[in-house]
Amino acid sequence: MKTNPPSGSESSIADLRHADEAELIDMLEKAEQKHGFIPREISDEIARLLEVKLERLRRIQGKLDTTIRRDVQQHVAHWRNEEGNLIMILHAIQNQHGYIPREVAMELSRELGVKLARIYEVITFYHYFKLQPPGAHNVTVCNGTACYLKGSGDLINELRTQLGIAEGQTTPDRQIHFETVRCIGCCGMAPAMVVDGKTCGHVKTSDVAGHLANLRAKKETAA
Amino acid sequence: MKTLTRQDLAALAAQPAAAPAEWIRVQLDTGGIAAGAETLFTALDHARLEHRLPFALQRTGSTGYAFADPVVEVQTVGLPRVHYGHMMPELAPQLIESHFTHRRLLDDHVIATRRRSLVLDAPVTHILVRDTGNGPGSKTEFFQFSFQEELKRRGLADRVQVVRAFDMGIYDEGAVVQLLPSAVTYTNVLAPDVARIITESIEAGKVLDDLLWKTSDKQVRIVLRHCGEVDPDSVDDYLRRAEGYQAFARALFELTPEQVIAEMKVSALRGRGGAGFPTWMKWQLTRAQPATQRYVICNGDEGDPGAFMDRSVLESDPHTVLEGMLIAAYAMGSSQGYFYIRAEYPRAVERIQRALDQAREIGLLGQNILGSTFSFDAKIRLGAGAFVCGEETALIASIEGKRGSPSPRPPYPSVRGLWGMPTAINNVETLAIVPAILLKGGAWYAGHGTETSKGTKVFAVTGKVRNAQLVEVPMGTTLRQIVFEVCGGVLDNKEIKAVQTGGPSGGVIPASLLDTPVSYETLQQLGSIMGSGGMLVMDKGDSMVEVAKFYLRFCVDESCGKCAPCRIGGYQLLQILDRISRGRGNAGDLAIIHRVCHAMQKASLCGLGQTAPNPVLSTLRYFGEEYQAFIEGGPSYARKVSGAAKAAKAPAPATTQEVSS
Repeated sequence: MKTNPPSGSESSIADLRHADEAELIDMLEKAEQKHGFIPREISDEIARLLEVKLERLRRIQGKLDTTIRRDVQQHVAHWRNEEGNLIMILHAIQNQHGYIPREVAMELSRELGVKLARIYEVITFYHYFKLQPPGAHNVTVCNGTACYLKGSGDLINELRTQLGIAEGQTTPDRQIHFETVRCIGCCGMAPAMVVDGKTCGHVKTSDVAGHLANLRAKKETAA
Repeated sequence: MKTLTRQDLAALAAQPAAAPAEWIRVQLDTGGIAAGAETLFTALDHARLEHRLPFALQRTGSTGYAFADPVVEVQTVGLPRVHYGHMMPELAPQLIESHFTHRRLLDDHVIATRRRSLVLDAPVTHILVRDTGNGPGSKTEFFQFSFQEELKRRGLADRVQVVRAFDMGIYDEGAVVQLLPSAVTYTNVLAPDVARIITESIEAGKVLDDLLWKTSDKQVRIVLRHCGEVDPDSVDDYLRRAEGYQAFARALFELTPEQVIAEMKVSALRGRGGAGFPTWMKWQLTRAQPATQRYVICNGDEGDPGAFMDRSVLESDPHTVLEGMLIAAYAMGSSQGYFYIRAEYPRAVERIQRALDQAREIGLLGQNILGSTFSFDAKIRLGAGAFVCGEETALIASIEGKRGSPSPRPPYPSVRGLWGMPTAINNVETLAIVPAILLKGGAWYAGHGTETSKGTKVFAVTGKVRNAQLVEVPMGTTLRQIVFEVCGGVLDNKEIKAVQTGGPSGGVIPASLLDTPVSYETLQQLGSIMGSGGMLVMDKGDSMVEVAKFYLRFCVDESCGKCAPCRIGGYQLLQILDRISRGRGNAGDLAIIHRVCHAMQKASLCGLGQTAPNPVLSTLRYFGEEYQAFIEGGPSYARKVSGAAKAAKAPAPATTQEVSS
């Protein structure tokens, strides 16, 4: 460790090393009350300590960065020699993360030598790519014409009321993501709804509550 | 698997593989799997192992009976080959027991064969019965009982089984009876006919001419010829059982590229993606363009809501599409192809990928295919949910990894397409037809259909229809025949109001024009288009203003925003429609709608904007009084209509719930 604390306050520093933010603030406030200001030696110690903590956090960040970089490099290597590979790489990234995280898009921009704006231009053009993380569970209502004629509108309204969110949003507890989709091609069983990858056909508005209850129950058992 | 040679293919052609005597085919397409076909497959597999039964359990794609998912087809010794619909996983043990222990067909699940015979060429072993009438109370059980009693009386009960069918493919024709295995079908059978059928047909082997159903099935399966027959995951199955890659071998070794194109010209096949451009001409133009590289693209970006033909073909018969692409590539002198498929169709993507891997493994893709000088490879590119990417130039931009914005034509893709090279974009259905044309000849294909529109067309009939399914009919079949004869008419016997074809780019066709024969030209005259083949049935309860709004909202959402007529015109149109549907429209609105629509049609850059007004214009043309009623009736009328629509929908769940509880 590069910081070598002065011998006089060694014990307090040792204590501080394991102190969390609340304790540090508490200590500073006490010092302030006692002296009317924060003594130089305490502020120095805290500064050193922050340096240490930051260094640790930076290492975590670095680790994350290398992981992201390695991931992105793998995806890029797979498609390196292909022309027009951007969309396929974005598909691979979305399959991995469930959405396209900002850091990954930035790394991809560096790796491919393509401007970030151009990557976002593509991401935002296509409905399939998401910039927000999906919920733990996904409820998707098909809004193809066959489903529309057979009452998908009522299903969407029911879900809106039950979940308190609009299509394309996630419940505040990040548990259920609700969206609509153009057509899942199951017109034979309209109106259709996809709950966590499982397609349910001939859904009635009265079934919606049951499906949601199942999802919530799943969440609790998982927790 | 080792690399295939020309001799191997010739040997396969000369000697088709022996099929196992007993098999069960489970139809595992997206619809089937959603209905539980995977679970059913596992259950059947368990039962097979448990009882050590020798039958082969096979995976196939879908025949097209979407209304009956999950569907299985069963062939057992001593029993006719049958399709079963609504075969829920829990019925697996029952199916196995019935077929392999008792050697009997299951009641209430049989989908009768559409191949109907006029002659009794084999002794009757099974009688299918179903009351197809609309009257209250089904008489199916009564007829089953009458037949059984009569057979018992004559001591024939062990020889002939009477089975209640699930679907006969004939509707509103009273009690329908089908004699298996010959598939002689009688309609409007009355109680006194039972004894007569048994005496004449079963005992004496004569056909009763007065009851005989002579109308042959409207469907002709060319595109769907292998769907539900072959295992989509096995190139071996395709090679052995479906004359796989024989058409390609014929093109490669017996024909020059010019001859292939000439054969296509004879067939007069027109692109099945919607616009109907002659396929041979597209190939010819691409071939004629001097270039170092040419590309073939299979357009599987089926974005129309309510259409699932391409998905079904890709999932059920991927090798046929690939074979079609190989032939197209050979004819055009291309060495690289792309499948552009929606990412929303994961199963289609998976199966095409597997087909490509298998073809590469046995040397049907790669350098010097089958020892010839022809080299070709194909890759998959995923769509990412943009309807506009079905448009050629937008699709090309998307494959290049860019935003899918269309660009002005000319230059057409056949001159300057993918990466500036000549490119031919063919629809999935078009490519699936190509091998059939090369095997059977262009003249054979041109024998189907009408003067200007040859061949057959697959439609996905959905909406308020009794049996939502894939239908393949020759061009020139009327809409009424498709909706009523093939699909059984409107759901719950309501009155039909209109049929919508062509998805968001198409228009509605009112009930009064249902006798129009389907072809590119006739549909266009009616203000609709053929499109890729979505066909939606609407009943009296559906408000046309709402339908127009639904489609228009779709196009507004999907507009790429590049050109003003589509971006601004679509939005303004939607605002006006919304105002009208809330009863706040005014007398001048209809004139403005016409003007905006006209501007969009004339000035938009690509097909999306040019056709986006179609649903509005066609509803206005045929159901103008509905718009008038909204405008004249004001907000109170609008509330009444939307209230009535809600009230009409509301009781349905309540009653079904009562039944289930």
